[in-house]
Amino acid sequence: MGGETVFNAIWLLTILPELLLLILALIVLGVDLALPAERKRSLGVWTAAGLVIVLLVSLLAPVPEEAAFGGLVRADPLGRVFRAMFLLGGVLVALMSMDFRPLRQDGPYYGMLLFSLLGMCLMAVAENLVMLYVAMELTSISAYVLVGYLREDTFSAEAGLKYMLFGAFTSAVMLYGLSLLFGLTGGTGYMEVAAALREAPFSLAMVGFLMVLVGFGFKVAMVPMHFWTPDVYQGAPTPVTAFISVASKAAGFAVMLRAFRFIFPSLGGEWVALMVAISAVTMTLGNIFAVWQKNIKRMLAYSSVAQAGYILIGVAAASRLGIAAAAFYLIIYTVTNIAAFATVVLVSNLTGSEDIESFAGLSRRSKFLAWGLMLALFSLGGVPPFAGFIGKLILFAGAVQSGLIALVVIGVLNVIVSLYYYLNVAKVVFERRSEEEEEPVPIPVPSRWVLGFTMAAIVILGVLAAPVFNWVWRASGAWF
Amino acid sequence: MLEQFIFVGVLLVVALFLPVVLIGLAWLLRPKRPNPRKSEIYECGLQPHGENWVQFKAQYYIFALVFLIFDVEAVFLFPWALVYNWLPLYAVLEGVLFIALLAAALVYAWQKGALEWM
Repeated sequence: MGGETVFNAIWLLTILPELLLLILALIVLGVDLALPAERKRSLGVWTAAGLVIVLLVSLLAPVPEEAAFGGLVRADPLGRVFRAMFLLGGVLVALMSMDFRPLRQDGPYYGMLLFSLLGMCLMAVAENLVMLYVAMELTSISAYVLVGYLREDTFSAEAGLKYMLFGAFTSAVMLYGLSLLFGLTGGTGYMEVAAALREAPFSLAMVGFLMVLVGFGFKVAMVPMHFWTPDVYQGAPTPVTAFISVASKAAGFAVMLRAFRFIFPSLGGEWVALMVAISAVTMTLGNIFAVWQKNIKRMLAYSSVAQAGYILIGVAAASRLGIAAAAFYLIIYTVTNIAAFATVVLVSNLTGSEDIESFAGLSRRSKFLAWGLMLALFSLGGVPPFAGFIGKLILFAGAVQSGLIALVVIGVLNVIVSLYYYLNVAKVVFERRSEEEEEPVPIPVPSRWVLGFTMAAIVILGVLAAPVFNWVWRASGAWF
Repeated sequence: MLEQFIFVGVLLVVALFLPVVLIGLAWLLRPKRPNPRKSEIYECGLQPHGENWVQFKAQYYIFALVFLIFDVEAVFLFPWALVYNWLPLYAVLEGVLFIALLAAALVYAWQKGALEWM
């Protein structure tokens, strides 16, 4: 960077969505102060409408390709795909929160959600170790608060504490790894670090890589950094669970893909072998533990660990197809998992329970809700013609192209195991009778929107995947 | 390159062993005269009375938090103020924006009643 840093107003365009998110957060917090208590439920509408505008701006506004702020951020097409993914997740979670009784009129809750999204958007475009760390901390600290938001509820408080302790520990390990990388290479920009790592001694570069991987692994919930998942998913308020299961995981993958591609190409052979092993273990452990769960949020927690394993197949493939498949699968996973959690919010609102048993007779209480949950479970399990099937197909194709046949075999076996517990829930919903089955489940308007959108997306992405996949595929071209 | 990192390795070993050695030495050298009074709760030398799980007002932490924000703000503003005369316009605006954001946070905390003493 020379002695003098010259500011260029064009740079502001690169982080325009982030700036708008900050303004939106301030507006939401201000509106929270101004509104009387009985009208505060409209905060969710403010948040969701604002996020839709930010999403449209991030998709449509012209963005300079080159790095901005002296190499801190680069809004390349794939970074923008990830950004759009988080914002879409944010819109759906904000709408879903409007039907979650303890949180729906809480201004600071929506503010925290927006700050966390702001951090995630920066994670997607960060191209500097310091920027990466700051963005990850902004995301995590807001998420710790969100998880422990219901202080009166011991489960939520416990989940918040566990999430924070685990997050602080992994973040400290990652920070030490980043400091080793800086010590080795004398730079913090991805390109500088990558160039210097080629000459660096292998052992030290590997130690730095492994320590950084701990931080990424926590975000995406891969084995062996998955221990927090079931407790935190169960204890957190359900919309927050949905949020960390989709947006936070996608943000972890966004930084992981970029870091592997641009910081550690010189360790390519080693990390591919490692990620193949981690991917296989992650999906197997996730699926096996999910089989035994009685609580639907715990089951979805282990299922999300398994899904992270599938996405890691794309990371391990390390080709253009692998990366595009991982990003595309994350879009599908976002809409699918949000559909599942939206039904959990409505059912647990009514029954006060999150057990799988409490879904008995749901098909007689509400056809719409039962089909929403069923589509989500089918898509997660990879049943054709739904979105999850085509997503897994492309992931496996990427692995085959890179010669990882064994990983594909393990993946297919895992999909079969996962069908057992996904269909088990569907069986409870459609077959099992319950005493309250005459009493219909009311579906408020925001949830109707969330479920309608996600159900349509699951079906459309399944039968008409090409436009969205081509968009992701074109975006991935800038990396190769 | 690798030789320069030997210091990091040495420091790591020392950091791991020092506490073990010190605690071990203390355990070896100290006189052992157990006494129930010794394991009582320390209360400034007074006889402890009542339970140790008592509730006390934790409200002060909000003041501490608000104070801390402005404390850190000052740390960031000192270097900014030092080179103020040589700063380009955008850097001045950045500083002003930073202060404005923190001021908005203070107004928010105030409106939410964080500064009321209950």
